[in-house]
Amino acid sequence: MSWEAVARKDFRDAVRSRWLWVLSALSVLVFAGAAVGRLYVGNGAQNTQGLVQGFLFFLKQGTAILIPLTALVVAYGAITRERESGTIKLLLSLPHSRDDVVLGKFLGRSAVVTLPVLIGFFVAFLALLPAGSGVDILVYVEFALLTALLGVVFVGIAVGVSAAANTNQQALVGAGGLFSIFWFLWNFFVSGVNRAATELFGLSNPAQFRLRLALKILNPIQAYKTLVDSLFMSGLEARVRMFSMLLGMIPNQQAAQALGPELSPLFADSMVLLAMLVWLVVPLAVGIVWFREAEL
Amino acid sequence: MAAIELDGVTKRFGDVTAVDGLDLTVAEGEVFGFLGPNGAGKSTTINVLLDFVRPTEGSVRVLGMDPQRESVAVRERTGVLPEGFSVYDRLTGHEHLEFAIESKDADADPDALLERVGLAGDGDRKAGGYSKGMAQRLALGMALVGDPDLLILDEPSSGLDPAGAKEMREIVREEADRGATVFFSSHVLGQVEAVCDSVGILREGKLVARDSIRGLREAVGTGATLEITAEGVTDDQLDAVRDLDGVDAATTDGTVVTVQCDPEAKTAVIGTLEDAGVVVDDFATRESSLEDLFLAYTEGDAPGASEAADSEVEA
Repeated sequence: MSWEAVARKDFRDAVRSRWLWVLSALSVLVFAGAAVGRLYVGNGAQNTQGLVQGFLFFLKQGTAILIPLTALVVAYGAITRERESGTIKLLLSLPHSRDDVVLGKFLGRSAVVTLPVLIGFFVAFLALLPAGSGVDILVYVEFALLTALLGVVFVGIAVGVSAAANTNQQALVGAGGLFSIFWFLWNFFVSGVNRAATELFGLSNPAQFRLRLALKILNPIQAYKTLVDSLFMSGLEARVRMFSMLLGMIPNQQAAQALGPELSPLFADSMVLLAMLVWLVVPLAVGIVWFREAEL
Repeated sequence: MAAIELDGVTKRFGDVTAVDGLDLTVAEGEVFGFLGPNGAGKSTTINVLLDFVRPTEGSVRVLGMDPQRESVAVRERTGVLPEGFSVYDRLTGHEHLEFAIESKDADADPDALLERVGLAGDGDRKAGGYSKGMAQRLALGMALVGDPDLLILDEPSSGLDPAGAKEMREIVREEADRGATVFFSSHVLGQVEAVCDSVGILREGKLVARDSIRGLREAVGTGATLEITAEGVTDDQLDAVRDLDGVDAATTDGTVVTVQCDPEAKTAVIGTLEDAGVVVDDFATRESSLEDLFLAYTEGDAPGASEAADSEVEA
């Protein structure tokens, strides 16, 4: 398949870049260092139950910002940089369709982002092994996979932006803009929509919470965080936590009452995962369609 | 079947018309030289063939296919040395060829290809360290992968030294002997003259000449180039010369007037200039070369050119 050749070439090319090695070293340092620090320096080793959980809880705050940022930096130039340097002419002189170029780039860059993450987690996993129980290990592996998925989602977003952009600068602005929206502006957007909808339709208090939750889940970073939380607590507790203050230290009682006692299947883990996958597919599809029309 | 068929192709970028109603047919097995000064629209035409850009008007067939709808199928049978490309800095020459072989699903030996384009011994180096000429050779090697039916080479000699340009022409010859159609663009006639069966001359997006090399030689064989030393000749005065029978083109750079004409027309040219009040200091005649003709088509006003081109294109 044509996209396979493109992906392999792109990965081979990217592996030579210092980026991959810096990222790998950094993620090993962060993940494994945090594991060792948390386990052996922090709480001591008496309370093994919950140690891995505590560690992951703490780590999630870092991965939720680091992974999307890394993915965007690695992938925003995937297409535009080739267009600006002229390597795209060499690439498209060969019998690859433009769709295959975008898909191949997505796969190649996904490998570039997920590989250091998985290496870092594997090293951290070895560090945690002495303290972890069997259940914890499973949770840990799920956490690693979710984190890798978060990376892939943001590679999809960045490659989509890169395929739709005409210049590297446009792609940078687009990718940076989306990141700012997800990280800084999303909750303003959520409250804005909620306020407008409440005024228009006179939503009840529980309905307002459900609307806000649905909108929050549509943010891939928040979706990732709540899925990680679901690894240690019930789905309801994890969703309620999305409304809490100070990194989850002050729970929101109103949200708990509005969304409970049984969590609607609309907000189940599978639906949250689906929301993440939408962000994987839609930007990539938009990028593919735009790139079909581009003049090189 | 024609290897390349352009029918009324126009490409505009905003207000700029890069290619203007181009009709051009290149037969299968032909080695075609696509000539014209820089900016004449050669690369835009090639980019249309490769579906890098889409024509504003007109229709295009490459190997009997629509390059827009059947782009991959066209490129499966085409080897391309594009213009304005760059190589992947971090991949070696060998890896570039492996990628081309994998992409074309071909069964070729990268080392043999490196040897053929004169890069034996450089295959394990990263292409980022290659000179312009070496990058050009590498791209030519990639274009040759899989013995394509059509070779599209955009300014293939750029960056090559004379020896390299000669090797490149030998490869074009070999490919033509194998039966491939070669579409070869250049702004230097000399690159094309030695290998091409026929040429087309593009100027400001329009085809001003389409003929075999032999036809062109015959056209200039009878002609003469008259160089007249005369200061400040005006365009009106030149027009009087252009209107004369047997005159193909007349240009001036301010101090020297150059006229392409039949040898018999010489006296009439000088007489006309003098009648128009021009002081002729000196003049010299020589036999025209292909280069003179090319320059007349691409640089001069060449009033006869468009008429000649029309009849030749239809022929």
